[in-house]
Amino acid sequence: MKYIIFLFLFILAATKGSLAQDSFTINGVVTDSLSGETLIGVTIKFSNKSQNGTSTNVYGFFSYKLDPGDYTMTVSYIGYRTFSRSITVDSDKRIDINLVPENSIAEVVVTSEKRNDNVVSAQMGIAKVNLSEIRNVPVIFGERDVLKTLQLLPGIKSAGEGNSGFYVRGGSADQNLILLDEAPVYNASHLLGFFSTFNSDAIKDVSVYKGGMPAQYGGRLSSVLDIRMNDGNKKEFTAEGGIGLISSRLKLEGPIVSDKSSFMISARRTYADAFLAFAKDESIRKNTLYFYDLNAKANYQIDKKNTIYLSGYFGRDELGLNETFGFDWGNATSTLRWNHLFSNRLFSNTSLIYSNYNYVIENFIEENNFKVSSSIRDLNLKQDFQLSLNNSHNVRFGLDLIDHTIAPGSITSNERSSVNEETIEKRNGNEASAYISDEWEINDKFNIVYGVRASSFFLRGPGTFNLYDSQGKITNSQIYSRGQLVKSYFRFEPRLSASYLLNGVSSLKVSFTRNSQNLHLMSNSTASSPTDLYILSSNNVKPEVADQVALGYFRNFNDDKYEFSAETYFKTMQNQIEYRSGTDLRGNRNVEADLLYGEGRAYGIELYIKKRFGKLNGWIGYTLSRTERRFDALEQGKWFFAKQDRTHDLSVVGIYKAGPRWTFSSTFVYNTGNAVTFPAGKYQINNQTYFYYSARNSDRMPDYHRLDLAATLEAKPGKKLQSSWSMGFYNVYNRKNAYAINFQDDPDDSSKTQAVKTTLFGIIPSITWNFKF
Amino acid sequence: MNRIFRSKTMCPIFSLASILMCLILSSCEEVIDADLSKAEPLIVIEGSISDQSEVHTVKVSKTIAFDQPTKFNGVPGAKVTVYSSNSQTYTFTSTGDGTYKSQRFRGTPGVSYILEVITGGKTYKASSLMPAAVKPDSINFKKLTFFGDSKLYPSIYYKDPPRIQNQYRYIVKINGVLKADQVSEDRFSDGNATSDLITFDGDGVVAGDKVDVEIQCIDRNVFKYYFAISQIGGNGGPPVAPSNPESNLDNGALGIFSANTRSAYTISLK
Repeated sequence: MKYIIFLFLFILAATKGSLAQDSFTINGVVTDSLSGETLIGVTIKFSNKSQNGTSTNVYGFFSYKLDPGDYTMTVSYIGYRTFSRSITVDSDKRIDINLVPENSIAEVVVTSEKRNDNVVSAQMGIAKVNLSEIRNVPVIFGERDVLKTLQLLPGIKSAGEGNSGFYVRGGSADQNLILLDEAPVYNASHLLGFFSTFNSDAIKDVSVYKGGMPAQYGGRLSSVLDIRMNDGNKKEFTAEGGIGLISSRLKLEGPIVSDKSSFMISARRTYADAFLAFAKDESIRKNTLYFYDLNAKANYQIDKKNTIYLSGYFGRDELGLNETFGFDWGNATSTLRWNHLFSNRLFSNTSLIYSNYNYVIENFIEENNFKVSSSIRDLNLKQDFQLSLNNSHNVRFGLDLIDHTIAPGSITSNERSSVNEETIEKRNGNEASAYISDEWEINDKFNIVYGVRASSFFLRGPGTFNLYDSQGKITNSQIYSRGQLVKSYFRFEPRLSASYLLNGVSSLKVSFTRNSQNLHLMSNSTASSPTDLYILSSNNVKPEVADQVALGYFRNFNDDKYEFSAETYFKTMQNQIEYRSGTDLRGNRNVEADLLYGEGRAYGIELYIKKRFGKLNGWIGYTLSRTERRFDALEQGKWFFAKQDRTHDLSVVGIYKAGPRWTFSSTFVYNTGNAVTFPAGKYQINNQTYFYYSARNSDRMPDYHRLDLAATLEAKPGKKLQSSWSMGFYNVYNRKNAYAINFQDDPDDSSKTQAVKTTLFGIIPSITWNFKF
Repeated sequence: MNRIFRSKTMCPIFSLASILMCLILSSCEEVIDADLSKAEPLIVIEGSISDQSEVHTVKVSKTIAFDQPTKFNGVPGAKVTVYSSNSQTYTFTSTGDGTYKSQRFRGTPGVSYILEVITGGKTYKASSLMPAAVKPDSINFKKLTFFGDSKLYPSIYYKDPPRIQNQYRYIVKINGVLKADQVSEDRFSDGNATSDLITFDGDGVVAGDKVDVEIQCIDRNVFKYYFAISQIGGNGGPPVAPSNPESNLDNGALGIFSANTRSAYTISLK
């Protein structure tokens, strides 16, 4: 608490002190001229003798302090015409800007304006994809997917064939903080991982931090994926959607009160089960299998100083088998936000966030009937302030309070069932964090973002909390009452990211990041599962902590037409978790008895070159990396490869605009196979073949590679209805990539054992019709 | 692992999901040459003591390389002894091929048995507590329908003893061919009249089949051993990263020693 008071005093003093200066503040909001959507990350430059600038925050807002004088103000953003005007700074001013989209494709926009934010900015470890790339990159079944497009960037690896899960810089899947309008999404995939929960129609901006996370983010070790939903068109009603092989989608948006308030609603549903309806057999028709997503958002600009946003997401998967059993799971999130300008230099956002993930399994078989439900629920209050202190300091500070409730499992059954009713105790924990960071332009060459995040975690009753020894035996058991503190942890997380401009087009950057994590996913499996179990830090489980150092070289070529970066990182991870073999996570009240604790390390180099403009654009990303784990109780305490270790990972993406109507695109990916454990021998027990495994993850899956193609044909322009056809082929040369390799007795000769490779997807064509009016 | 191993899952979610995936995505399988590392041969011990009056067997063998023809690679010349918590000592005699046999005797529920095997200058030990017997009330066949395909599987009905942690193992042979080796526990059905359904690959049970069902009551460690094996095969969730199941044998030996009750039934489907 002392710390927080100090923080506020500091801010107050800083605000006071700066009032005496003879400088003025220019602030405003940047929006799209056609839709009125606010634009995120727009570069704003003020130049007279020297050039200084800032960029818009996630609400499109900017604020900058300038000495009196005449300036040229230049506002630039990829995909929009650069806007320039002269301004005279003699008082505080609000300047709202509408940027006009560059919609004529053939036209090559030549601009003298530097678009070198990637070089100049102190931020490193950030990866961005823009929505036109998501729209054009080929994907399986033609389902546009933010997560799968991100996997084409260096340092971000796919969790498997056709899978939307991902690993960042050697971390595991649960070490990614996935935020949709600030709400954490606990299970970001549908249909066992093949589709992400993010309907790209509803998305405005996607950023991933692989390292150097700004201090306002915390709670996960590896990465932050920050996804922002569209606000809704403030100018006119529009509808857009698409009909594809797997799903259909529809988005409606428009003004509620013109230029003040708008809404957006977007829905998607798959219809794999629609085909079941054609089956002859009644028992097949009765099966269900589908998922749907619903995104909705509304905003209201009360006045120039106050805007309110309400957004929500609801998605579910439904599986049902002919009155035998049902299984459904999904996320629900909602975010209420209030943007407020305390002064023209102090921007505030207050968010109230709810997130819930749950699953329900029902078995209807008479004497064994039961219903299992499990959930994880977050209530979160965030307060963020942004203060432009003077020309060279941009300060952010705030508070983040989260209440987690995990219900690991509750079993109910009817009185005729042989299954006993049972509820595993809920677990309750609170996270309270405060942060402060300062983006400081020290001089023309040197930029730095430095800050600190102080994170605390409190595990609270009610419940029975056991303490286990290293063998998993209970050494102490204590009952706590509601709200009583069981265990608390405090972690101090310094964050630093700095850039040094070598010349106008190249820079060196360095960053140090510490992250801690108090929510841990129990997963020893080779695939993600809707029944994955989360646990909180506890008297047995310590917070995971990661320290990452990264160094990078950034260079732009050819008037910023090409950007190049090389980043190298080294990361250590403490209190990593695995569980003993043979542990049953389902309905297990003593899960913590079976956990093993160890450490991890990951290092690598990521190379990235991107062509940003022109008819042909795209990028090549390459990662050379290694990630290892060490557990005292495993492999005699020696380091072994983590399952997601892949030495080489290459992605090539090309998008070619062949004219006003045709766009062609292609991706090629290659990676070393995951680290796996294959049998090192065999033996017989009860006349059956058993396999013997020696060193953990010492074998490799075969190399993976694949080429995808896609083409989009826009209808003739000019009509009210704009439509397009997207066609694609996944895995064009029909490479039989290994999804799994299993070992078994040869069915034809039981004296032999064989390795059987399972391939999931051969060549898969897709076609989608998209429309907008 | 072989597909014979299963554990009683709360529901067949993942087998369903994989069936759906196969239907939709037309996944395919092919036999490949896998480049496998070789390890030094390890000692494997398999032994059991039952509550039947019979000759009990302990087998001692060594692992063989994956690409060798599968066979029982027996280790003769070991000294095999079982000690019981009620102060009995049973000496096992070698039959020459790595199999060791006792005199005829009957194991007793509630008694702990300690197996000691001395071979190659090393001593391996394991202990197992024979649980009380739970006899089935009946065994019949139950129909399961998966995507319009109805198959019959054996279902074992029994009354689980209350307030005792029980584990069961079922070995099912159809017309003499091993079809299922499945374990189950009473974690969710303690004290109830319940049933365990034994499912396996293939056509289920068809008319005219002779079905042999062996029911064992096993101790916790033996259950965990077989459960770990079934997990590697993907039962009870997605397949887990494979590793050797935790054995109750010490000194790095593979395998399992089980003191269990045993009852066997033969039924046929007309």
